[in-house]
Amino acid sequence: MVKMEGLLRAPDTWQNKLRRTFSESTIAGPAAVLLIIFALLSIFVPNFFTFRSITGILNAVTLTGTLTVGVTMLMIGGEFDLSVGSLMAVGGYAYGTLCMAGQPALGLVLGLVIPALLGSLNGLLLVWTGIPSFIVTLGTKYFYRGMLWVVTAGTMLQTIDRLPIYNLFNGRLDVLNNLFKAANFRTALLWLLLLVIVFQFLLVRTRFGNHVFAVGGNPGAALGQGVNVKQIRVLNFVITGALAGFAGILLFSQYYTVRVASGDGLELSAIAAAVVGGTMITGGAGNIWGALVGALIISTLRTGVVLMNIPFIPADNFDAIVGVTIVLAAILNTYLRSRA
Amino acid sequence: MVDQQHTHDRNSMVWMEKISKKFGTITALQEVDFGVEGGEVRALLGDNGAGKSTLIKILMGVYQPTEGQIYFEGKPVKIGSPREARAVGIEAVYQDLALVNLMSISRNFFLGREMIKSLGPFHWLDTRKMDEICLRSLHDVGIEIRSSSERVGSLSGGERQSIAIGRGIHFGAKVLILDEPTSALSVAETRKVLNYITNARERGLAVIFITHNVHHVYMLADSYTVIRHGKNVGTYSKGDLSEDDIADLITGDREI
Repeated sequence: MVKMEGLLRAPDTWQNKLRRTFSESTIAGPAAVLLIIFALLSIFVPNFFTFRSITGILNAVTLTGTLTVGVTMLMIGGEFDLSVGSLMAVGGYAYGTLCMAGQPALGLVLGLVIPALLGSLNGLLLVWTGIPSFIVTLGTKYFYRGMLWVVTAGTMLQTIDRLPIYNLFNGRLDVLNNLFKAANFRTALLWLLLLVIVFQFLLVRTRFGNHVFAVGGNPGAALGQGVNVKQIRVLNFVITGALAGFAGILLFSQYYTVRVASGDGLELSAIAAAVVGGTMITGGAGNIWGALVGALIISTLRTGVVLMNIPFIPADNFDAIVGVTIVLAAILNTYLRSRA
Repeated sequence: MVDQQHTHDRNSMVWMEKISKKFGTITALQEVDFGVEGGEVRALLGDNGAGKSTLIKILMGVYQPTEGQIYFEGKPVKIGSPREARAVGIEAVYQDLALVNLMSISRNFFLGREMIKSLGPFHWLDTRKMDEICLRSLHDVGIEIRSSSERVGSLSGGERQSIAIGRGIHFGAKVLILDEPTSALSVAETRKVLNYITNARERGLAVIFITHNVHHVYMLADSYTVIRHGKNVGTYSKGDLSEDDIADLITGDREI
């Protein structure tokens, strides 16, 4: 046995651990940003700090938030999905059509399974052809929506029935609403919270999640250590597709209507929310709570801008503020990461 | 001609016999023989593009040989994937391909071999146990880390190499493959990494050290295999040739 020359390091102190936990966490920065924005708007904007506004902000994140959970998972694994907006419409149609035909349970299943299968097609195209997922899903984004147009003949789906299943996904949470004045808490929020908790657990506490980080961080190393890289990639697309379908189910339960154009553009909102929430666009780092926080930051700003009623920035020009937020968030996240 | 003085046969730890690899019409390797014994450091030398990495990727199961046979501990084997390579005990310590920089030391240590806790249909990572074992087993091979939750990206190149080597030793690897392990390291770090390699050899592991620079490996290797343009130039024992002789064989400036 050769005498080893060890790599001597200072022992770990709690200050060190704390510093590392904060600087390496992808959630600390975005969470701080959300709190600051929320506090500033509460102080300076009249009518912002009311339960009506706050529950409005929360309800507005349920659709984008659900998409963002999947998109974040996928981005941590190093891929993009631009087809989630289209898959959301597909899921909404499948669920809505069957609900209106008196088959809500089947509608729920197909509303999840059809987008999941189309998601797996995204993944398989990626691993078979090696074409970047950005391009693959740019193509399928148009293809899926086009096929939806063909299948539905472009007709809008609308119902006046109020089935109990709609309350399951978007009922009023009267237990909470009765406690607070003008509050409008919805069950969709609980579903989103459940998804965040389940997928965060999946990401950081399971072998699958460990492999997602590895594939996104360094696919070569993941392959070398025996990770089934292709399988992880395809599974991630299946998950993203199923979640997009679920967003469609929430959509129909919320508005009782779905159009072929429903969800168009939300794929970019979801990527924006993921980035604002601290997910690394190059993969390998991120947090599902960040998906929620990122979506909340954007939704909070939107509500703030509407309530501020600024003459030169009408609410329609809210996009300008989203754009600034994305860039600032990316700068902040890069800065925090460089200190890690 | 000193060629084939250091003879290997099918009873070596690893023996790759008459390996050929074609990519379309391009011949990357032509009937190359290569092997390594337990407790031996074998240098695989060749200039950029000579076919070193193709040969090693065949051993790792990344590529399948067009022709030829691999023997592992005397038995013919077919290595279909990196997972299968690792299952028989072949561990690669690539400069960039061994570790995920954004992940912690212990998550890297157990990547692909995670420890799992189960309750009924639910399975989750036993992170506490993995942290403990990672810290202890790295300590056992002489590598001290501050914390197993530290990210690999914050470590130096030498520390990263040592963690990959320590991981291989811990999981009972029989063959360690090191791809240019010292090319980007400082002198002091190179010395440490060479120490870990010596340690692995003392433990009876077979070590394959791939490099295009004979100076990095001359003191350490027990034998050298030189390949050029996808063909064997020869295999030489330590002391057969000088550093300069080997450098000439790599470039083809001089036939010996």
